[in-house]
Amino acid sequence: MTQTDIPTDVPVATAPAPMAPHKDLKWIGRSVKRVEDPKLLRGLGRYIDDVVLPGMLHAVVLRSPHAHARIVSVDAERARNAPGVVAVLTGPEAAARFAPLPDSGPAPDKHVWRVLAADKVRYVGEGVAVVVAETRYQAEDARTLIDVTYDLLDPIVDPLEAAENTDDLVHEALGTNVAYERTFTFGEVAHDFATADVVVRDRLRWGRQTAHPLDTTAAIGDYDPGTGEMVVHTNSISMTWLAFGAAVALGIPSNKLDLRPYISGGSFGSKQFCWRSTVTAAMMSKITGRPVKYVEDRLDHQLNGDQHGSDRYYDVELALMRDGTFRSLKIDCVDDYGAYIQFGVGSHGNALAQVTGPYRITSTEYRVRAVLTNKTQQGAYRGFGADAGNWALERIVDKAAAELGMDPVDIRRRNLIPPDAFPYHIPSGNMYDSGNYEPVLDHALERFGYAGWREKQALMRAEGRKVGIGIVTANERSVYGATEFWFWFDDKDVPVKTTSTPEGVSLTVDTVGNLTVTLYSTPFWGNSSDTVAAMLVAEEFDVDPADVTVVHHGTKGGLPAAGPGGSRLTVMLAGAVTGAAKKIKDKLLRIAAHDMEVDEADLEWVDGGYQVRGAEDARRSTADLAMLAYLVKTALPAGEESGLAANFVYDHPHLTMPKPDRSDLGSFYPCVGHACHLVAVEVDPETGAVDILDYVAVHDSGTLVNPRSYDGQIVGGTAQGVGTALSEELTYDAGGNPQVGTFWDYLIPTALDVPEVDFGHEQTPSPITAHGIKGGGEAGRLMAPGALSAAIDDALRDHGVRVTELPATPERIVGWLRKEET
Amino acid sequence: MLAGGQSLLPMLNLRLAEPAHLVDLGPIPDLGFVRRERDRLVVGATARQSAVEHSADVRALVPLLAEAVEHVAHPPIRHRGTVVGSIAHASAVAELPCAALALDARLTLLSADGVRTVDAEEFFTGPFSTVARSDEIVAQVEFPVAGPGTGQAWSEFSLRRGNFPVAGAAVSLTVADGRIVDVSIAVCGVADRPVRARAAEQVLRGAVADEETVERAAAATTSGLAPRAHGDLAAHILPVSAAPVPGWAYRASVARAQVRRAVTTALTRAGGTR
Ligand SMILES: Cc1cc2nc3c(=O)[nH]c(=O)nc-3n(C[C@H](O)[C@H](O)[C@H](O)COP(=O)(O)OP(=O)(O)OC[C@H]3O[C@@H](n4cnc5c(N)ncnc54)[C@H](O)[C@@H]3O)c2cc1C
Repeated sequence: MTQTDIPTDVPVATAPAPMAPHKDLKWIGRSVKRVEDPKLLRGLGRYIDDVVLPGMLHAVVLRSPHAHARIVSVDAERARNAPGVVAVLTGPEAAARFAPLPDSGPAPDKHVWRVLAADKVRYVGEGVAVVVAETRYQAEDARTLIDVTYDLLDPIVDPLEAAENTDDLVHEALGTNVAYERTFTFGEVAHDFATADVVVRDRLRWGRQTAHPLDTTAAIGDYDPGTGEMVVHTNSISMTWLAFGAAVALGIPSNKLDLRPYISGGSFGSKQFCWRSTVTAAMMSKITGRPVKYVEDRLDHQLNGDQHGSDRYYDVELALMRDGTFRSLKIDCVDDYGAYIQFGVGSHGNALAQVTGPYRITSTEYRVRAVLTNKTQQGAYRGFGADAGNWALERIVDKAAAELGMDPVDIRRRNLIPPDAFPYHIPSGNMYDSGNYEPVLDHALERFGYAGWREKQALMRAEGRKVGIGIVTANERSVYGATEFWFWFDDKDVPVKTTSTPEGVSLTVDTVGNLTVTLYSTPFWGNSSDTVAAMLVAEEFDVDPADVTVVHHGTKGGLPAAGPGGSRLTVMLAGAVTGAAKKIKDKLLRIAAHDMEVDEADLEWVDGGYQVRGAEDARRSTADLAMLAYLVKTALPAGEESGLAANFVYDHPHLTMPKPDRSDLGSFYPCVGHACHLVAVEVDPETGAVDILDYVAVHDSGTLVNPRSYDGQIVGGTAQGVGTALSEELTYDAGGNPQVGTFWDYLIPTALDVPEVDFGHEQTPSPITAHGIKGGGEAGRLMAPGALSAAIDDALRDHGVRVTELPATPERIVGWLRKEET
Repeated sequence: MLAGGQSLLPMLNLRLAEPAHLVDLGPIPDLGFVRRERDRLVVGATARQSAVEHSADVRALVPLLAEAVEHVAHPPIRHRGTVVGSIAHASAVAELPCAALALDARLTLLSADGVRTVDAEEFFTGPFSTVARSDEIVAQVEFPVAGPGTGQAWSEFSLRRGNFPVAGAAVSLTVADGRIVDVSIAVCGVADRPVRARAAEQVLRGAVADEETVERAAAATTSGLAPRAHGDLAAHILPVSAAPVPGWAYRASVARAQVRRAVTTALTRAGGTR
């Protein structure tokens, strides 16, 4: 597809006109300490497990020890009579009383997803019963007294076999283990392949991994039998726009359900919805009439959380010309979703948002087969499918460079989308709002000392050391539009609609001019949303962010809000705060003009107040005007309401509809950042250990809000990318038993294993968002796996080793070396 | 029996052990010593790993123990975990049981019926199992003090810093007149308990230690050992049923490399030929 201007003909969302970056920003772009620090760093944060309600009970879940078995009977009598036990709810009982969990997969009635397994268990760790007791100890003791009779079934473990198997099914009603299959073709793929000089092929394997926030998913249900109202205190789902889903599952009117948000010690996607903990706590509170706390322990989280990431098998083909110019890309992917498919193939929709990366590639074919197996279902993990997508693309680019004998930097530079091509539409339809990629590459090369490192590398290699250098140039799509979840389903009878995933805020100026901003989604997932909101308010009103109060509203009676996810929150809050501030500042202007008896046009906003142009002492501060707004109705213009508060709901900045024939998926992830990572590693061929010698990351996510917390996102994401590349893996044996239980087996890199990252920034503002901000929350993890893979290849190039499977564990590396030797 | 609790408490948390009674060794007086007794360094039952790690005496007298202990976990764990507890726990991949074996340590077992001493070689009987009866405590462990011309070294590879090793090697050797006159090597990670690498010792004993000899010794490390099935080594850290442990062939190759590295370092420290 050729480049076009930003289309304004079919905008689905009603975003306000993009705001040009201000010239003299006071707070945006300045590194400030988080406003959350005083409470979080002193242990005063009050995480969900710190919350104790009067009369509160504790819930634990009995988990299936089998990967695949029919539940013949569940006998909970002994547990019910155990000391301290107040209630036990078995899977079959829960199914009779509570509706299934919300499931946005295709044909949800054919793979019904429940809070507890009802008829059969489909993975080790699936819940079979809940025990509620006065203390957690008592609940855990009683849990061992539940007798479950299972009729064992053959475990379905290998997704490639499961895709062909129609005898053993994870969900009989589905009639197949392939929950979804689709091939999209964008542009002239066959022609581009036929006329290309070279076709490079690769077979790649992206292993299953997971986020492991310190704070697991938890909830406290607090049901009031008198009013029928349910309050759920939760660190997971607390965004207004989907709260009704929990109400449906619980059989409670949505206006009697209030999900109250708590700060959380990390999410990384893992708390995106997490219906189960909310529903577990709430249903048990409904049954017992007392508050019930359910906190996943580490094993609960590992086995039954909603955070397992993509688990993919790729066949990738890149068609290109002999001079290195890319033409077309084909991707064929099998994804092992585990036992359920709660988000459909949204994580492939996500990958399609930047399927061709930062490169000019004019056509693409994408095939996905979503396979169900007897494993924990996938959830969301930082990157949500674009992590694996970026890696696969960068792998084939490196392979192409090697086959053509080109330097990996040169082949990338040749294919980068040039700055004058933006806004740019990739073949699948998504729009990249802005970009200037070469300066990022040059900045990174210079920072890293690429030429110098190549010389150093040659010297080290001459001493027999296996030193390699790896590079990636990759994109980070941000500000998701929910189309990625549903453009797959294009049943002609279903009218096509979409949501703009709006985000609302309320802004209040009190009588003496102090500011309060109210958010309607999860308060803190590690992304410093309070700091962001406070900085944005501070920017508008010329106050200190530390003086802005941030309030978190529960879902009941709240404005629409979807919370963090898809690297959206900073952009969405910027739009919402800017919109609300404008309403308030307009009112201030009207009051000021009226009070000072001047024309509005003669006033200008200067340093927290309105003053007459050119007359510094003829001014009214925000506090002066607020006092009038609250107390002196007689000083207000006729018809002006008392008070000073505004709501604003910001819609997605740029969303267009997919074409009915899906030859174009529309624009749904338009704020696109870019990054270049460069890494030098040394491989020990005897142990397979990979030592990171140097690491540089240069990112461009548009206008930076708080560089300090943005760098935190990059280093954290890079650390997770190091784990992805080298050590983290959720493995299952042939019987479907998870082989990983604790952090002794699941090897998250520690501070001792993660390199010092040297950061650089470029800023290419977005033309479609307030202040030109783009999202940056998944940065790092979207880049590091590719960079490290390339560096390992380079280190072992004399041995012909290529990283085609992640994680590249020491044992695998030694195995590859041995295979190439024989 | 509860010592530092750094292995036992995780087991209790995971309900892998559910003892009816737990005796805390901590409050027992006078068991926390680390002291020299003639040609022996003696470590009492409640002496913390960090006490041994930070003792200049230990570093001078039994350098292998000091070096091995540094590789155990992380500082907060070493502040609680005990040397004797680690040996009594008898994990097949732990550093200290392996070092004790290479050093020919001697353990004192104490019960209401009396006292007996057992050599490290006889002490370990399998994964998490030893000759100590359930009514016995390991009261102390004695390590021989390194004599002149002795060089010692610990070398390991672990998948993450502070983790239990994939495989590790403990070496103590004595060089006189350019020849290795005495050598002991123990490896962990390749069997259900730490084992002496007798064949490797044989190659080195009496030899002039050039690079080629060291290489041959390293290659001999695993010669007498039976390859083990995957599940066999699974229960190496906690007695859990499954863990994605590296395969035996890989562990064995890592063990050979660690023997070469440890022997090379020990030779340098002994002031030997390399
Ligand atoms: C995160 C983490 C990482 C670790 N990494 C390593 C590592 O890299 N390498 C390593 O070797 N260890 C590691 N450990 C284990 C640690 O070294 C333990 O401290 C050690 O294994 C046991 O010592 P303890 O004093 O804590 O014993 P405890 O945990 O109190 O006891 C362990 C067992 O030994 C028995 N026992 C203890 N003392 C005696 C005695 N005097 N007589 C008879 N029986 C006794 C107990 O009954 C119990 O069965 C790690 C632990 C943790 C938590």
